[in-house]
Amino acid sequence: MEAGNPLLDDYVLELTGRDRPRVCFLATASGDADDYVVRFYKEFAGGRADASHLGLFRRRRGVSDVRAHLLSQDLIYVGGGSLLSLLGVWRAHGVDAILREAWERGVILCGLSAGALCWFDTSLTAYYGSPERVNALGFLPWSFTAHYDSEPARREVFHRELLAGMQRGYAADDGAALHFVGTELHRVVSSRPRARGYALRKDGARVIEEELATEYLGAPAHEGRIRVRPYPALQRAFAAGAAA
Amino acid sequence: MAPRLVALGGHEFRSRSDELAIVEYLLRLTGKECPRICLLPTASGDPQEGIQRFYTTLDRFACEPSHVSLFRLERERVDLREHLLAQDLVYVAGGSMLNLIAIWRAHGLFSVMREAWERGVLMAGQSAGAMCWFEHGITASAGEPKVAAGMGLLPGSLCVHYARDPHRRTAYLKAVRDGLAPGFALDDGAGVLFEGRRAVEAFSARPDARVIRVLAGGVEVPLRPIGLRHRLGLNRDPAVDELRELRRAREQLRGVRARAFAR
Repeated sequence: MEAGNPLLDDYVLELTGRDRPRVCFLATASGDADDYVVRFYKEFAGGRADASHLGLFRRRRGVSDVRAHLLSQDLIYVGGGSLLSLLGVWRAHGVDAILREAWERGVILCGLSAGALCWFDTSLTAYYGSPERVNALGFLPWSFTAHYDSEPARREVFHRELLAGMQRGYAADDGAALHFVGTELHRVVSSRPRARGYALRKDGARVIEEELATEYLGAPAHEGRIRVRPYPALQRAFAAGAAA
Repeated sequence: MAPRLVALGGHEFRSRSDELAIVEYLLRLTGKECPRICLLPTASGDPQEGIQRFYTTLDRFACEPSHVSLFRLERERVDLREHLLAQDLVYVAGGSMLNLIAIWRAHGLFSVMREAWERGVLMAGQSAGAMCWFEHGITASAGEPKVAAGMGLLPGSLCVHYARDPHRRTAYLKAVRDGLAPGFALDDGAGVLFEGRRAVEAFSARPDARVIRVLAGGVEVPLRPIGLRHRLGLNRDPAVDELRELRRAREQLRGVRARAFAR
């Protein structure tokens, strides 16, 4: 849901392999902010998708059977905001367990900022100013930070935490998306030409930060279709990381 | 002085005389000429329109209003603890009790709220914002009304919107009969003032709004609340006009600073 840039939205919609995928938006991290929900419908309704949203602040209105609704989706889209609030509210409503079930059953999960941080085991949130480590849902057994280019303090803290024993993981610039299949990284794509994904791990007393091959979705070769190609270099890098 | 808390069965920041009477009551309880009052709208996800209504309503009173939005802390950059401890009155708005408790817990706010309460900041809350202080409340956060755990700073249970929401009443009485610690039931427009863990005053801003003590076994004992009145139009206090101008000037200054900072 980048303003004026539909590339990543198109990408996730195409991943569903459906003409009119069922897409549900969770704006929990923003407190179900009305304007955010409206923006979602503007982007995703109107023929492209069968769009709905799940509000957790006014449950008396809206979706009654949360589990059935989420399990019936092709794509679940999680908005940004406060990671801590999102985790707290999801746990209070049992939505975390339902999302895990949906993911295991093949529903595609995606999200940006807090909506991306939430899926990892350990994430950096900068909610109170300086970035801090948060234990998130752990569907993906890695560490993660978003906004890697726009918030420089995140790099410093991410490196420090890796040296302090945080598990290896990934970082993404604004506009870059990491696509995981199962728990393994499958592709890195972007909606901005210069946005990149990164893999980070500790090696002895230093941190190895690798820039990942990132496909810009706006390049001519991409228009109208998605190329699927494996990343042998990347897989090797991670085999090495795992062995170290 | 014992920590004080006001539980409200249902209240909104609107310009109706009964809603204003409650605001006036809360401000007067602070004992300050120009109390600092902070709104915490967490339970409803910090909606802008609710926050705006708070400011619009408070504009007619001698006070210094502020709000803290946990969902936008990133932008607002306040030290929450420091800000809350500096208040005379903290008002917790309604919404989803389940979410309120979950979010406060996630942000580590239980201890901050307790500290502010113990240090003498008058705490007030309506609906979910009232029930959260007790051991238990009756919430409709997940659809049908059911028992939810609060922070437990006050003993027993609280049920809000008692007359307006018969399902809530049914669920509450059943829960108490099944062994839930008893407590209070409040209609919209009514409330109770607690000093320490003790209820010391029942009040009502509407003729038909009740304060009910609910005893073990689900026995309802209506109390006789004191009546609150606010006479519209009679609050043309010149000091309020002066304050209003001061607030505007300060907001403008803040805007100028923010713009300068943005450059």
